[in-house]
Amino acid sequence: MALIAVIDDDLDIIDASSLVLKTHGFDVVTATNPDDGYRIIKEHKPDLIILDVIMNEPDDGFFLAQKLRKEGISIPIIMYTSVSKALGVQYDKGEMVPVDEFVEKPISPEQLLKKINDLLEAKGKEKK
Amino acid sequence: MIRLVPEWARHYEEFWAAIRKRNIWFIKLRYAAILALLVFIVISEYILDFSLTYFQVYSLLIIATAILVYNVILHLVKDRIKEIPGKFNVLHFSLLQILLDLLSLALIVYLTGGAVSPLYYLFIFHMIIGSLILPGKVVYTLAVSIIFYFLIFSLLEFYKYIPHQYLSGYIGTSIYDNFKYILISNFIFSFVILTSVYFANGIARQLYKLEQDLVESFDKLHKAEIEKQKYIMAVVHEIKSPLTVVITYLDIILSKMLGPLPEQIEERIDRAIIRVREAVGLINNVLRISKLRLLDEIVYEEYEIGQLVENVLSARKSNLESKRISTETIDQRKDKITLLGDKFLIEMVISNLLSNAIKYTSHDGNIKIALWIESGYTKLSISDDGIGIPKSDLEKMFGDFFRASNAKRDGFEGTGLGLSIVKQVVEKHHGTIVIDSPSDIGKEGKPGTQATISLPLKQESTDSKLKKHVE
Repeated sequence: MALIAVIDDDLDIIDASSLVLKTHGFDVVTATNPDDGYRIIKEHKPDLIILDVIMNEPDDGFFLAQKLRKEGISIPIIMYTSVSKALGVQYDKGEMVPVDEFVEKPISPEQLLKKINDLLEAKGKEKK
Repeated sequence: MIRLVPEWARHYEEFWAAIRKRNIWFIKLRYAAILALLVFIVISEYILDFSLTYFQVYSLLIIATAILVYNVILHLVKDRIKEIPGKFNVLHFSLLQILLDLLSLALIVYLTGGAVSPLYYLFIFHMIIGSLILPGKVVYTLAVSIIFYFLIFSLLEFYKYIPHQYLSGYIGTSIYDNFKYILISNFIFSFVILTSVYFANGIARQLYKLEQDLVESFDKLHKAEIEKQKYIMAVVHEIKSPLTVVITYLDIILSKMLGPLPEQIEERIDRAIIRVREAVGLINNVLRISKLRLLDEIVYEEYEIGQLVENVLSARKSNLESKRISTETIDQRKDKITLLGDKFLIEMVISNLLSNAIKYTSHDGNIKIALWIESGYTKLSISDDGIGIPKSDLEKMFGDFFRASNAKRDGFEGTGLGLSIVKQVVEKHHGTIVIDSPSDIGKEGKPGTQATISLPLKQESTDSKLKKHVE
């Protein structure tokens, strides 16, 4: 079964995301800060990463995503954000921030699962 | 080149604008002065019978011509003088004008009697004007030069080194050779010149300073407003985070991942989610207003307004169905023309107007959406046959948090934030919004409301705000 890493400093978001993912048969590893996040990604090599954009600093998530891509790690990333348009920062796919999907909080369990499955499917096709 | 720009003129723009204005004013005034000089010659010759000598008349005419010539030249070159502090700028241009004028005036005063000329008061006038624009040092230098000029000329005439010119028909015998007169007139003249310069310069300085303080205060206010908006955004954003967690948990419970739910609880949780989503919606609105005010710019991308209308209608389908409101869309545009603007914000505008229409329309009501093109604008109107808006409220309705008096009375929920954002968004897109009541589909007792937005078909392609062009 696919392994998903959830990196968010909000323990409730981690709890809720894990709950949804585990209920639907995914394995989950979690971290509450970018450093631990980096560590668990290197250690567990998850199939997909769910990353919150704001942790200690407003753009922690971005830096982690950039760091991973620079190291050639191409695991799909879904970025949780509650900023996007509201804060006036325009995040576009691939532009500056190398993530695969932006998701504005709150997201319903169905939508989240759909995005995850779509990304995993796309990744599977790529491999073949 | 001397900088001339006084150190207190920190806000260059206002300062330069003031100097430019004064320069133009000088040039215009000078044409009047030339006319006055000619009138003076005619009147003194033919009416007052001052018995001017030929030398005086011709000299004065030559001076008038010279003033005219240099004034025309100044007039022609005035727009070429730039505002560069280090080079010959508009301030040097003012100084040049004052110097030329003082020279002309010195000659006129000499020709009309020197120390006994009725025209030497005009020096005071020149010095006051000079004080308004030139820095203290320069004006005082000029003032002292004039005082010396006046003293030296009256002494030269007194000791008969130069011939005395005067208006014999005006004062009979001139008293240029009366030493007491020379002494007193020079003393008073110096005193008046220096005190005028002192006061005029002080007042001008104070005025400039006040103006600058005003500009600075305005800047500070503006910065404070931006800080406030940032603070609001931060706070509101903090409020949003826990709410999103609440929604997520409620969603999980509702999806029965944690186990079965009794129907009664399911219904209440469903309501709870709706209400929390409402709160998040409001927060998003506040964030959007702040963003608009903070950044004062929008992202331009191509969109088709008809498509946005369809999106909004399908998003609101359940609201429309639950109130059994029938909708009609009339698209009179020949082609689907794409517009430039922030698609997300425009969709928000349409959504806001539609949800107002739904909210204030009773069951089995009607909503009409019309799209057409009129004199360079794409127009979109959303009309309903709901409770309408009292005439007295129509003008106030774009304020933050405004809600029509009948809406409050009839117990409709809402925050009144919507229309204020709608108006700002439309105006940022160089468009307009008009709210009418009754609407074009209003009926007896159900006047309804009609919102019409106009968005320009073409944004200027040179628009500096055109940041991004999404295919």
